[in-house]
Amino acid sequence: MANILETRDLTYAYTSRQEDPSLDSVSVGISEGVRTVILGANGAGKSTLFYHFNGIFKPKSGEVLYRGKPLEYTREALSVLRNEISVVVQNPDEQIFSATVEEDVAFGPMNMGMERDEIERRIQHSLFKVGMEDYRYRPTIQLSYGQRKRVALAGALATDPKVLILDEPTAGLDPQMSQEVIELVEELISAGTTVIISTHDVDLAYSWADEIHVLRRGKLVYSGKPEPFFEDRVQTALAGLVLPHTFSVNHSVQAIRGLPEAPFPRTNSQMLCKMLPDCDAAGKIRLIPVSDSLPECAGEGRVGIYGSNVRRLFRAAGMTPDFHFNAVEHCLMEAVSGRDAVLYCDESVRAAVLERIQSMEQFGKCVEVVM
Amino acid sequence: MNVIETENITYYYEGAKTPSMKGVSISIRKGVKTVILGANGAGKSTLFYHFNGVVKPKEGVVKVMGEPVSYRKKGLTALRSRIAVVLQNPDDQVFGQTVETDIAYGPRNMKLPESEVKERVEEALFQTGLGDLRDKNTLQLSYGQRKRLALAGALAMKPEVLIMDEPTAGLDPQMALELMELAEQLHHMGTTIVISTHDVDLAYAWADEIHVLRRGELIFSGNSEDFYSDPMAVHSTGVMQPSMFVINNNLAAFRGEDPAPYPRTESQLVSKMVSGPKGRMTAIPVGTDTDAAALGRILDGRGDSKVGVFGTVSRRMMYDSSLPADYVFNGFESCMGECLMGRDSILVCDRDSISLIESKIQRLKDFGTEVGFEVRA
Amino acid sequence: MSEQTQMDTLAYSSRMLSWAPLGKFLFVIAVLIVNIMTSSMLVPFVTLAIGLILMAYSTNFKIPFFVGLALAEALLILAIGAGIISITGDKADPAIWDTNLLWFDIYMTADSFNKAWLILFRGVAGMSVMLAFATSTPIPHLSQALRQIRMPREVSELVVLIYRYGFLLLERMESMWDAAHCRMGFNGFMNTMKTTASIAVGIFTSSSNMADKAQIALDCRNYQGFFPVYNSPPKVGVKWIAFTAAVFVLIYLFGIHTEGWINMAKLFFGEAI
Repeated sequence: MANILETRDLTYAYTSRQEDPSLDSVSVGISEGVRTVILGANGAGKSTLFYHFNGIFKPKSGEVLYRGKPLEYTREALSVLRNEISVVVQNPDEQIFSATVEEDVAFGPMNMGMERDEIERRIQHSLFKVGMEDYRYRPTIQLSYGQRKRVALAGALATDPKVLILDEPTAGLDPQMSQEVIELVEELISAGTTVIISTHDVDLAYSWADEIHVLRRGKLVYSGKPEPFFEDRVQTALAGLVLPHTFSVNHSVQAIRGLPEAPFPRTNSQMLCKMLPDCDAAGKIRLIPVSDSLPECAGEGRVGIYGSNVRRLFRAAGMTPDFHFNAVEHCLMEAVSGRDAVLYCDESVRAAVLERIQSMEQFGKCVEVVM
Repeated sequence: MNVIETENITYYYEGAKTPSMKGVSISIRKGVKTVILGANGAGKSTLFYHFNGVVKPKEGVVKVMGEPVSYRKKGLTALRSRIAVVLQNPDDQVFGQTVETDIAYGPRNMKLPESEVKERVEEALFQTGLGDLRDKNTLQLSYGQRKRLALAGALAMKPEVLIMDEPTAGLDPQMALELMELAEQLHHMGTTIVISTHDVDLAYAWADEIHVLRRGELIFSGNSEDFYSDPMAVHSTGVMQPSMFVINNNLAAFRGEDPAPYPRTESQLVSKMVSGPKGRMTAIPVGTDTDAAALGRILDGRGDSKVGVFGTVSRRMMYDSSLPADYVFNGFESCMGECLMGRDSILVCDRDSISLIESKIQRLKDFGTEVGFEVRA
Repeated sequence: MSEQTQMDTLAYSSRMLSWAPLGKFLFVIAVLIVNIMTSSMLVPFVTLAIGLILMAYSTNFKIPFFVGLALAEALLILAIGAGIISITGDKADPAIWDTNLLWFDIYMTADSFNKAWLILFRGVAGMSVMLAFATSTPIPHLSQALRQIRMPREVSELVVLIYRYGFLLLERMESMWDAAHCRMGFNGFMNTMKTTASIAVGIFTSSSNMADKAQIALDCRNYQGFFPVYNSPPKVGVKWIAFTAAVFVLIYLFGIHTEGWINMAKLFFGEAI
């Protein structure tokens, strides 16, 4: 797949007196539509790198390319670029600067000179996506940390970026809210946005990423699928990181069994799948795609919901599912353990959900999907 | 014995519509690894500010060591040296220009003699591994270093109860492990550690007892598993079940077994999943008086065994003398992983942590794993 | 919650929030001016009534405690001032009370006594009207009002930014304060001084940090040097101006008519004067 973003020999230092440059000839390629994680310890240069992607920093040497073209650092070109590449920083307080939620979300679209109807549509849409529609007229300073974080995200969504870069998107969020953010990200990917997450959370990186780029003290030390990186324990330790839990449990278990580590489970359900004997039949998942209204439930087993639309419909109908968050994972675990489950999901993410269910096959269980 | 006890405390901030603490009666037991679990805004910090008297309840009583808290100046000073709080954001608690003066801030405020202050600063510097940075300006520290500094400042007050708010938030994974190891050591040495968090995986791995807050109300006190077994309660608290708990439950359900004993660490989980021939673990106790050269000679004869490190003193010595180690962080779990896979391992650990290691190995027996263990002098 | 935060919360939940901020502003200024244009003792009472009614309406008849406290505080300060004015009368006039208390020379005349009362009444009335405005108009609305009267954009945006960051720094200060308590930072005078200084330094560094980071974060959102406003508050219509003018004229006429109706000195000291 084509690189949507690329750096070539990128070198950058904040001050000329700096002994080691903050980024040292980094050549990295971000493919369009690929779940990408920039992984590294604090101070490894993650943010310096992504501030190059949207042209905030200008490389001392080397170049940055967007869709194959080197960035231009004129005011007009940067403005166009930043409407397409949106960065959401870790601390929402830095990024929210309007007094009310509505004004803050409207900032991007207003800035881009959109029609009022379109702005209104975008405000509603992005607040709905982050589940903050009830807070539209609230002053931003009265929000909790998690709510501010969601408003900051909504502000980025309102500009409908082609590339969305999220710095530690789950840091400081409650577990349920973190899950919601990750699910939202999946929806964006299904809708064609390229999402880059910058983090030091190895468990998040491992369970989510298609491709990781690891930074250590300003140098790019690895690019590729996550597993080969974590197999090199020395490299992992030097980068200030540790092994993801799923990876390390799989490693020990397979070694004891005398079996190969691959295929590598990245989620709990995949791991469970590998641990259980494969002769038994798995349960079925009844998948109910939802667009405008909730269809009648016609299935046995525990119920999970996935997607912001379904979530809203359930809330409106006053229904409580068994699995509110991380439902695909939970339903898969039910199925893997031999029980049937029902999964309501947004029509827009159906393909992604199907793909995840089918991925269980390589871990030894075939989970049947009933539509 | 209860080190801290609250009876029906209620608190509301000036101008707030709903109380931030509603009739909370909680008991923190001495020497019990405690977690206060709750989503952002559930009232965790309001609660622990009650513990050290920063906040006075509008109704109800707070008792420390059985005595009701006195809100007179003298009583409060005594109270706050016994119950230390480390906040989540280290920047909120830097009061000194250099690392040393910041650590000395608490003890000096306690009006201790200067010699005692010096001694405490030294000890805290060592425990948190900040010795090399003692003269550094606090503004030049990295986030992880500032977080350790905040802990050092609390340790210098030699508290009986140490309350840590989201101790691992924002830390790199290695540093987070190091910090939790230190917490474990402090707990082992007799400090009662209370962790306030919304990170269920951290809470599950650490806690002997959890107290769950939801919108200012205490909705659960007791064993982690009892709480996580109630999906509705977990959901309404804004958290999720810990991964370890979920995997184990599904595994047990599939096998038709009782989910107990509940694994809380990787080695316990692996032990439950599979078993095979085990390797041996050799512990080498290290103190500040240990000869690094002699330790080096022992490690030279390690053969194929992997070497792990556990504890502040050991890590310092291995680092200062550039001794070889495969697992500098998470040393015990990694060495145990080796043993489970049938390979021998060596654990260089602090002398006073030997009994802690022994109890961890003992615990593994519940999960069907018996590992040969010896301590080499 | 600090008083500033309470004030802000109050303003955002006010029933007068949707009124044109500039209209409210003009009205308050007009009332304040007319309040001091005549020397009638009754005008301040009319003004006070307007202030209290507006405040009661704005807060849905639940005037919070701290607003009452602010009024009481103002009353106290004004009373002290008025007291001083009343005892420093013009020596050319006959005295009601002339004495030496310690090293103070007390000389009260009917004129100074009346003047003191008038100032006290005017002050309290003025405060009530201003509070009614403050409790119903959040600062960002005020800044938009400034924009409507063609204040330079830089000024109104600065007001919003100061407002936002002011609250963030306030939050930071509160948590530093608590943290200092945890480490006994207020144990004795010297420690309290040191701690206060450290907190000030902390706020200063964090504000400069915040300025640095905010610049980058603003650029990330493609900030072009100005904040467009999506929902401007309602503009001042003819109705507002007409109403304000009418109230102004009415009170003024009332003031002229009632000048000298009440003489406090007579009320207190009887016909002796």
